[in-house]
Amino acid sequence: MKIAALGIDVGSTTVKMVGIDAAGEIVWHHLEPVDPRVEKQVDSFLNKLKQEINSLNNIPLIATGYGRNLVHQAVKNITEITCHAKGVYHQLGHGGTLIDIGGQDSKVIVIGTKGQVVDFAMNDKCAAGTGRFLENSAARMQVPIEEMGTVALSATEEVAISSTCTVFAESEIISMIAHGVEIEPILMGLHRSLIRRVVAMVRSVGLVPPLLLSGGVVKNPAIRKVIEEETKEQVFLPEHPQLMGAYGAALFALKLMAS
Amino acid sequence: MSNPIPSRKEVIEDIKNRGELVAAVLPIHYSRALLRCFSIYPVEVWGPPKVDVSLGGAHLQPYVCSIVHNALSFLKMGGLNAADFILIPHTCDSLQGLTSVLIDLIKPEQAIIPLYLPRGQREEDIIFLADEFRSLYTRLSELTGKKPSSKDLLAAIKREETSDLLLAKLYKTRQQMGLSNLDFYRLVRSREYLPAEHFSTLAEETLQTSTQPRPGIPIILSGIVPEPMEVLNKIDEMNGQVVADDLACCGRRLYKPGISPEPFRRMAERIISAPPDPTRGNPIEERVKYLVEMAQNSGAQGIIFYEVKFCEPELFDLPNLRNSLKEHGLASIIIEVDINNPLPHQVATRISAFLEMLDS
Ligand code: SF4
Repeated sequence: MKIAALGIDVGSTTVKMVGIDAAGEIVWHHLEPVDPRVEKQVDSFLNKLKQEINSLNNIPLIATGYGRNLVHQAVKNITEITCHAKGVYHQLGHGGTLIDIGGQDSKVIVIGTKGQVVDFAMNDKCAAGTGRFLENSAARMQVPIEEMGTVALSATEEVAISSTCTVFAESEIISMIAHGVEIEPILMGLHRSLIRRVVAMVRSVGLVPPLLLSGGVVKNPAIRKVIEEETKEQVFLPEHPQLMGAYGAALFALKLMAS
Repeated sequence: MSNPIPSRKEVIEDIKNRGELVAAVLPIHYSRALLRCFSIYPVEVWGPPKVDVSLGGAHLQPYVCSIVHNALSFLKMGGLNAADFILIPHTCDSLQGLTSVLIDLIKPEQAIIPLYLPRGQREEDIIFLADEFRSLYTRLSELTGKKPSSKDLLAAIKREETSDLLLAKLYKTRQQMGLSNLDFYRLVRSREYLPAEHFSTLAEETLQTSTQPRPGIPIILSGIVPEPMEVLNKIDEMNGQVVADDLACCGRRLYKPGISPEPFRRMAERIISAPPDPTRGNPIEERVKYLVEMAQNSGAQGIIFYEVKFCEPELFDLPNLRNSLKEHGLASIIIEVDINNPLPHQVATRISAFLEMLDS
């Protein structure tokens, strides 16, 4: 394994590191839940990689994500908007409108025909519209987060969740459960509520097809289905949806090295 | 800049020590000359940021902007005690509401003076505004017992015109001046409280100092006020350079000299001649034309709409304005802030991502 450049994405829930070869292909990656002591965690990532490849000399690292400024081992930091666009474009070979739903924010990025960011919108002020909305609700209903999507899709009906605020949605859920409403329709309603907020962001920048999806929540099958229903567009996924920010950062590191 | 810029507090203390009068003036448009010929020194109140808003919150709805929330809180905590008068132009519903709250409920010691502004740039609007200034003259005469002559009025107007011409010159040469974003706005925003003659001296001194132009991704800053001012440092750090602005406290008040020899009409002409402004009802097409030309002339690659949360006149126009700018190839981003909060990390990320987008 020959690593030419590294990228790290310090998100609000997970840290992802990607190593790429000189051709820009992902040859190594590692993902862990985020530790508040970011610098120490990055050291442990780098040590782990060092054990596998012996030396990290002359391998540039670029950091992205919410905690990018805390990665002092990086030669540069670039925002997650630019890195996600770069990673997704490189992996899929075309632009479009990318939805990335993260733990603490969600973003919509219009990627141009040359991979450049044309426009973007971010929801970073409120947990509604982010992965945290589902996490909180899953915890309330005692459904494991990884099963949430499947349980939601097994619903034969759906209830509307009127609260767009995570805290109020929780009270609404409790009240519904108290009134005997089943878990499955509530879960489906929660997915719809989250996605409608995200789709509003898509509309604010203007949907340029195809619709692309990245981020940890893509493992949830209900998310993809509801996005397709709400936008009437087919959704395309890159091969490593959770790694796109780190991958983009690594591609920038490779470019930096070449220059 | 060779001489330090005095703070608002220092300027107020200086005026009071000389036994002269101060008017606290709320945003946006008014005639400084009219106040000055009564020996009243205008000191503008754009918030101010970082005050205890719970004091004002008791009288205002939560969806009123932070400029108004802060102004009322500041008044209630005694921050405007040095002011002899409070002038409130009817810029928007929130400021109009504030006038009513002050007159009907709070009844501060200082006289509250409303100023009605026309919503257009036609001849009728000049006539209306000139009449408003005449009424204001009468009110100030009653309050101060003074009756400045037309000659006094014209002298005060010309002093402000000189100051505004220098302000315009600072804007014109800003790219060659080599000031950081923060230093430039500290300088031009001192026009909000420095007497015109003092500002003119400062501007002339700055125009004489030549430094290296600063590199950076050229952008336009639009909105009401760049608060917290920390945002300007952030733009510097992220390699952005504000090369022009459409800010209510700054670039939208580049008033041209008036033409008429009649003082009230001349004051009105000046305000009406200012660049397009949503609080004065300019149609979106005029703003698009103005901003596109501004970008062409300054070399700006994009616009940051840096908006005060809940600022209705600004936010109402933005979707259509941004769409039209996009059609003209001008990228933009909206950043909404509460002037009371420190600059959030997310705002820095958005600005940084926007600059990266322009740079690519
Ligand atoms: S920020 Fe907007 S709403 Fe608030 S006072 Fe200024 S113009 Fe009015």
